[in-house]
Amino acid sequence: MQSILFWSAVTLYALATVAWFAWAAFGREWGAKAGRALLALGLLPHAGSLALRWIEVGHGPYNTRYEVISADTFIVVAVWLVATMVARGLRGLGVFVAPSAFLLMGWAVSTFELKREVPIIFKSWWLFMHIGFAKLFFAAILLAAACAAAWLVKDRNPKALASLPSPEKLDLYAHQFMLISFLFLGVMIAAGALWAHQSWGRYWGWDPIETSALVTWIVFGIVLHFRVLHRWSGRRMAWLTFVALAFSVVTLFVVAILVPTIHNSYMVGS
Amino acid sequence: MSRLLSFLRAPRLALTVIGFLAVWTGVGAWAPWMQPQGPAAPPWAVGIGLDHPFTSWPFLLAVALLFSSTLACTWGKRARIVAIRRGEFPPSAVRLPSRDGDARAFLAAEGFRGQGELLTRFAPALWGGWIFHVGLLVLIAAVLVQHAFYDSGVFDLSEGERANLAAHGTVFGREKGPLARQTLPEVDVALVKFDPFLHQAGYSRDRLSELEVMVPGEPPRMATLDRAAGIRAGDIEIFQAIPSGMAITLEIAGMGMRTLRLETEAPRRAAAEVTDPGGMPVRFVLESEQDIDGAAGTGRLLLWTEGMGGRRALAPGAAFPFGPGQARVVGVGRWGRFTWTRTPGLSGVFAGFIVILAGCTLLAFPAGVARQGREGEGIAAVVFTVRGGPALAAEWERAGPQA
Repeated sequence: MQSILFWSAVTLYALATVAWFAWAAFGREWGAKAGRALLALGLLPHAGSLALRWIEVGHGPYNTRYEVISADTFIVVAVWLVATMVARGLRGLGVFVAPSAFLLMGWAVSTFELKREVPIIFKSWWLFMHIGFAKLFFAAILLAAACAAAWLVKDRNPKALASLPSPEKLDLYAHQFMLISFLFLGVMIAAGALWAHQSWGRYWGWDPIETSALVTWIVFGIVLHFRVLHRWSGRRMAWLTFVALAFSVVTLFVVAILVPTIHNSYMVGS
Repeated sequence: MSRLLSFLRAPRLALTVIGFLAVWTGVGAWAPWMQPQGPAAPPWAVGIGLDHPFTSWPFLLAVALLFSSTLACTWGKRARIVAIRRGEFPPSAVRLPSRDGDARAFLAAEGFRGQGELLTRFAPALWGGWIFHVGLLVLIAAVLVQHAFYDSGVFDLSEGERANLAAHGTVFGREKGPLARQTLPEVDVALVKFDPFLHQAGYSRDRLSELEVMVPGEPPRMATLDRAAGIRAGDIEIFQAIPSGMAITLEIAGMGMRTLRLETEAPRRAAAEVTDPGGMPVRFVLESEQDIDGAAGTGRLLLWTEGMGGRRALAPGAAFPFGPGQARVVGVGRWGRFTWTRTPGLSGVFAGFIVILAGCTLLAFPAGVARQGREGEGIAAVVFTVRGGPALAAEWERAGPQA
C-alpha cells in the first residue's frame, strides 16, 4: 500500500511537470491550473505513504535518505501551496516546483532503505524541532531560488511566464523567502545546539555539518546585508540566491553523504 | 571618536568581517589536520593559528570586530527607527509620483493601515533588524562568558565502583576556560549497573547506566543515564560517553578492593598493565570466546597475568601472588565512561539565540510607514518599507496614468 501511494504521488508530480511545461512552453493557461491541482492532489497519496512508513518503522521520516528526501519533497510542495494562498503571484513558481518534486522523488526511491531502529540520541523533542525546521528551511530557500530563476527568465524575455508577477515583485518574494529561510536555518541551528547540549553537555562541537550550517547562515547574512546595506537586487541578487541555495544543499545533503559526521545516520544510515 | 564610529559602522567592514569568519570557519573545520587521525598541521597553518582555528587570534579578533561593528550599527539604529515611526522619512523612502487616483486606497491595498496622516504596515516589525542585532550582541557576549567559565572532564567507572570526582586521579581529560573554578566538583558517583548493549524499544542498542549520585547537602539518589540526555548533580551535569570495556575487580591483601579497567586490544582480547605493590610491572590479559563489543555477550572468559614469573592463569576467587602479598579476582564486569560539564552562562547563549530568532521573525514581516503627499510636495505619497520599495513604486506606476 505504501508503495502504491508513493508511486501515485510520483505519477501526479510527473503529470504536474508536463502540465507546467505546457504552460511555460506553449502558453497554455490550463497547464498552470492543472499543474497546481495535480501537485495539490499529489500531496494526498504522498502524505499517506509517509504516514504508513511512519507507522511501519515507528519513527518519523528522518532516519534514511529515502525518508528524508521524500519528506523534504512533501514539505516543498506543501509550503509552495500555502504560499500561493497568501500570494497568488507565486502560483507560476509551480513550473519550478513540479519538476523539482518529481526529481527529488526519483532520488528518494533510488535510495530506498528500511530501518526500524534509530540511534538512542534521537530520543529527544529537540530532534523534531531541528529536523522540522531543516525541512522548512530547504523548502524556503528552494522557493527563493525559484523566484530568482523566474526573475532571470523574465529579465531575458519579459513576455515569458506571463502570469508570473513583475520582476520587482519576484525580487521581493525572493528576498522574503530568503529571510524566512534565514529564520528557519537559525531555528534549526539553535534546536540542534539545544539537542547537542541535552545529549553531550556541549552545544557546539564543530562537527562538519554544524560548521557547514553555521557557514551557510553566515553566507545568508552576507547576502541579506548586500540587499539591505548596498541595495543589491535583480540579476546580482538572483545569482547570490543560487549561491545561498548551493550552500544549503551542501549543508543538508552533500556533507552528510561525503564526510564522516555525527549526522551520517540520516543520509548514509551509519 | 566619530571617525572610529564611522569605520565600525561601514557596511564594507561588516561584510568583510562576516566573509572572513565564514571562510575561516569553513577552512578551520574542514582542514585535514582538524580531522580525527588527520596529519599534523603544516607550519604555515600553525603560523596563522589555523591549528587551533577557533581560539586563534585572527578568529578572536574577527569576533571582537564583529561585536564592535554590530554594537556601533545597533547604537544609532534605535533613534532612526523611532524617527521613521514618527513619520520622519529617510532619503531611502520611496516617493510615489502624483497622478489621478487614490493613494490612500492604493496604500490600504498594499497593507498600510491607520486613522491619521501616518499609515503603518506591521509597525512592530520595524524593530526586527534592531532586535536581531541586539540578539547577536547578546549571543557573542554570552558565548565568550560561557567559554571563559566552561569546565568539563571525563571519568571511568566499573560496575560496583564508587568514586569522588574531586579525588586525585578520578577525573582526566579536563577542559576548562580561563576563569573556570580550579576545584573539581565534590560529587560522589557509584555505578550500580551498566549495560553497554541495552535495547530500548525503537532504538539501536546503546549504553545505559544506573548511577547513585551523592551531592554534599543532598540525599543520595539513583539515576538512570543513557546517551540521550544527561543528569544534573549539584552544579554539574553528567553524561554517558561511548567508550567502555572489560574490568576486573581485585581484592588485594592490605589494600582492599581495587578495580582494574582493561583496554580492548583486539575484538576478543583486552589487557591492562599495572605496577604491583612490590613495584614490579604486571600485565592482566583477558580473552573472550566471542567479541568483547558484541551484543551477544562475551561467552567464556580466560584471564591470566604476565609478569616476571611468566604467564599465570587466574580463576575467580582463587588467590594468586601479587607483589609481596596476594590478591584474588572478585569479579569480572564492564566499565563505562562518563563526562561531566559545568556550563555557567549557557542560559545567556540561549537567550541570545531567542532574541536573534525573535528579530528574524519580525524581519520576515514587510514592515513600513507611509503618508500621503502634502500640499506643495508634488508627490502622491511617501513610503518607507524595510524591503520591496521598488516593487511598490512599480505597482503604483502600473496602477494608472501619471497626473
